[in-house]
Amino acid sequence: MINFKKINIWYFSTFFISAIVAIPILTVFSSFFETTSNYSLILKDTFLYEYIFNSIVLLSGVLFVTFFIGVGCAYVVSFYKFPGVNFFKWALILSFAVPAYIYAYSLTAFFENYGTAFSIFKFFFGEGDYNSFIPKFDGMLGAIISISFSLFGYVYVLSRASFHYQSQNLIELGKNLGFSKKKSFFKIILPSARPAIVAGLSLVAMETLSDFGSVSFFGVSTLTTGIYNAWTSFDDLTLANRLSFFLLIFILCLFILENFSRKKAQYHSPSKDGFKSRSLIQLTGYKALFVFTFCFLIFFISFLFPILQMLYWTVIFPKHLFDLNIFDLLKNTVLLVFLSCLVLIFLAFVSNYGSRVSKSKFLEILTTFSVSGYAIPGVILAVAFISFISWFDNNVVSLLFIKTIKPIFIGSILGLVFVYFIRFYSLACNGIKSGYLKINYSIDESSYLLGYSKFKTFTNIHLPYLKNSVFLIGILIAIEIIKELPITLIMRPFNFETFATTAYIFASQDLLEAAAAPSLFLIAISSAFILITSRYILKD
Amino acid sequence: MTNNFLEIHNVTFKAGNKAKVNNLSLNIEKEGDIICLLGPSGIGKTTMLRTIAGLEKIHSGKIILKNKILSSNDTHIEPENRNISLSFQDNCLFPHYTVFQNIEFGAAQNKKTKKYLNANEIINFLNLEHVMDKFPHEISSGEAQRASLARSLLTKPDLLLLDEPLSNVDQSFKEEIQVKLKKILTELKITTIIVTHDSYEAFYLGTKCGIILNGQLKQYDDPYNVYHFPNSIEVVNFLNRGILIPAKVTGENSLENEDLGTIKGNFIKHYPKGSDVQLLLQPEDLEHDDKSNLKLEVVDRKFRGTNFIYTLKTLNNLLIPVFVHSHHIHQHEVDEKFGIKRPINIDHIVCF
Repeated sequence: MINFKKINIWYFSTFFISAIVAIPILTVFSSFFETTSNYSLILKDTFLYEYIFNSIVLLSGVLFVTFFIGVGCAYVVSFYKFPGVNFFKWALILSFAVPAYIYAYSLTAFFENYGTAFSIFKFFFGEGDYNSFIPKFDGMLGAIISISFSLFGYVYVLSRASFHYQSQNLIELGKNLGFSKKKSFFKIILPSARPAIVAGLSLVAMETLSDFGSVSFFGVSTLTTGIYNAWTSFDDLTLANRLSFFLLIFILCLFILENFSRKKAQYHSPSKDGFKSRSLIQLTGYKALFVFTFCFLIFFISFLFPILQMLYWTVIFPKHLFDLNIFDLLKNTVLLVFLSCLVLIFLAFVSNYGSRVSKSKFLEILTTFSVSGYAIPGVILAVAFISFISWFDNNVVSLLFIKTIKPIFIGSILGLVFVYFIRFYSLACNGIKSGYLKINYSIDESSYLLGYSKFKTFTNIHLPYLKNSVFLIGILIAIEIIKELPITLIMRPFNFETFATTAYIFASQDLLEAAAAPSLFLIAISSAFILITSRYILKD
Repeated sequence: MTNNFLEIHNVTFKAGNKAKVNNLSLNIEKEGDIICLLGPSGIGKTTMLRTIAGLEKIHSGKIILKNKILSSNDTHIEPENRNISLSFQDNCLFPHYTVFQNIEFGAAQNKKTKKYLNANEIINFLNLEHVMDKFPHEISSGEAQRASLARSLLTKPDLLLLDEPLSNVDQSFKEEIQVKLKKILTELKITTIIVTHDSYEAFYLGTKCGIILNGQLKQYDDPYNVYHFPNSIEVVNFLNRGILIPAKVTGENSLENEDLGTIKGNFIKHYPKGSDVQLLLQPEDLEHDDKSNLKLEVVDRKFRGTNFIYTLKTLNNLLIPVFVHSHHIHQHEVDEKFGIKRPINIDHIVCF
């Protein structure tokens, strides 16, 4: 499979980068050859089935809600004209700015006994036993709601793109066959968008299974929290890795499903010949009001609600805001974003360019395998990375008469950026790859034939052409890193905090009102980035 | 070493691992010659160009340009160091540059070009002035193809390779561009290999034409000979400019066909008297004559502007094409009888 004639500096670099990204997957797999503590036996008899059951219930609930909300919103904004439709088109993706764990804090803060809802009732109606009828969204229900409203954007964006590019011809065909609007929706529109919807749901599924912040906040024991507990409470890294392996298998199935759907989704991409722009159906009267209310409610619940809740607390407890070392948090966040973007984009460029120049099938397969890091929960990545460094330190470094390398990689900015690199490599790599896919290979060949070397082709053709993609990828990475919690929590140096970790620490100490200010900053920064990129996100 | 400008010795051209053209040898004798390669789609013509340009490596044989080995078993000069320009069929303009920047891009790397041409000359020449500030996605495929051609010409390559250069150009514009292209290539003495499936284009532009069929170079000759003296039945079938009918050689200069009677002319190859042969009958070989007693039934009539092509059916169900000037005094409808002038005289008789 490996053609040794093709091995050059580019080939080697691409291989090396992909191999590094594959470390956690290999570490997790290798746990099967190691012994675990007694906790594994206890776990098997006690919590393991609960972890699996809870994971399945959580996943099913989230998939159901995100499907309903995501597809519903995408459908109405793509096919109908009603007041505010242009606003909702981009406003609905703002939910990406609110991480599930912050949503969880807001939900609890609003509905808990004597929470914000209680205060509102009290303000308007005076003292009363409102706690008895204010619904409680905690436990599994809270987790499902928090994760769903935070993630439905994936289904919305992908479904909307698919609906947007659906040819008018298809819809006219439905009319021609005498289909009602309802029948057209179920027989033509929905099946045509199926691959995009499945792709969106698969992403939601992967993120749900990876979620740590909200499930741990609500005390729902899933496989992800199980992994964390095996490591932190029982100090059993091998078991943590072994649990990760089960989760990985689960996620791998979703990943394959998502990849499969995405390939099929290409059939829906716009073509010059097949695409005929659609005229939107004008809604008036109660129908317009109904659709407007639906979209507004989703926008309100997913974005305005957590913001208002956090804002409310920040205003009524200003002390927490003043106690917050905003400058340090901002500096730390910017530092992480800057370093990660630099490393990720540079290495993704090297890897993609190497793959392109080498034209190696082997490298292509290796790259595809290595980018599956995105599907691996942050907790697993961090644990696997620590396991690997420990193994490397004990088995390789010690042979080199060096005392230890652990402090360099564990509890350091370098280690943190390293794990970010593994986690978000697929984002950078696939982003640049999709940019490269738009550059036909014969473009490179044209450049060579005009006398330009490979490097000059890279600087004169690829870089200028991909600058927009790079900008977009940079922003997407920034959004992810600002929101990222478990890796930062596990890998960060002592006393090094970001907005995400600060909010989490306060929330885990039951100081939800103190978590409000950092959460608000986090949402504000993410929203700004999302607004910058909304044009691109909605386009593709 | 020989004095040929380009020599291709026993090269097997491969796309991936699949051999497309086997063991091909071909020479371009003089600088400035224009060679046109004709063949059906997927036969490996583009692979040949890519290999000559250095985009594909060869596994056997040798390619020599101006006495310098470009490709052999142990030599492979990179494409950027060959000074060979290839204009792709799908134009491959750089999408983020305007048409003008695209055209200048090649010239910027090849400063010596300025001695020969400047960008504006080429732009005027190929009628591209109106699209200079546009991006590739804003222009038609014909304009893109011309822009790509301009970019290639400006590099003043030692060898210019054109892959279906005018396939997307509008028919109305095509002849004008062909004339200009031929003029510029001839004036600048740019040695060129053009791949096309348009035989008229090849016959007009080419100093020589090569016919590639079934992985082999079947005929390599000047255009007149390729058309009038095809060297195999495969070439006749590929050019599709006539039919083969059975005949018996009856003398030094004559044959006999059951339906058409005696046919006279000069054999280009000797056949013994009494031989059964397949005679190539091209549309211009037969003349129409209303008064002739040799009448055949019209089964189809194609109007081609300057002429009609009648398809006539003989008693033995052969379908024979015949040209008639479109100003001919009257037309014949399908099922009518159509007279063929007798005796039939063909300038050169090609048989197999």
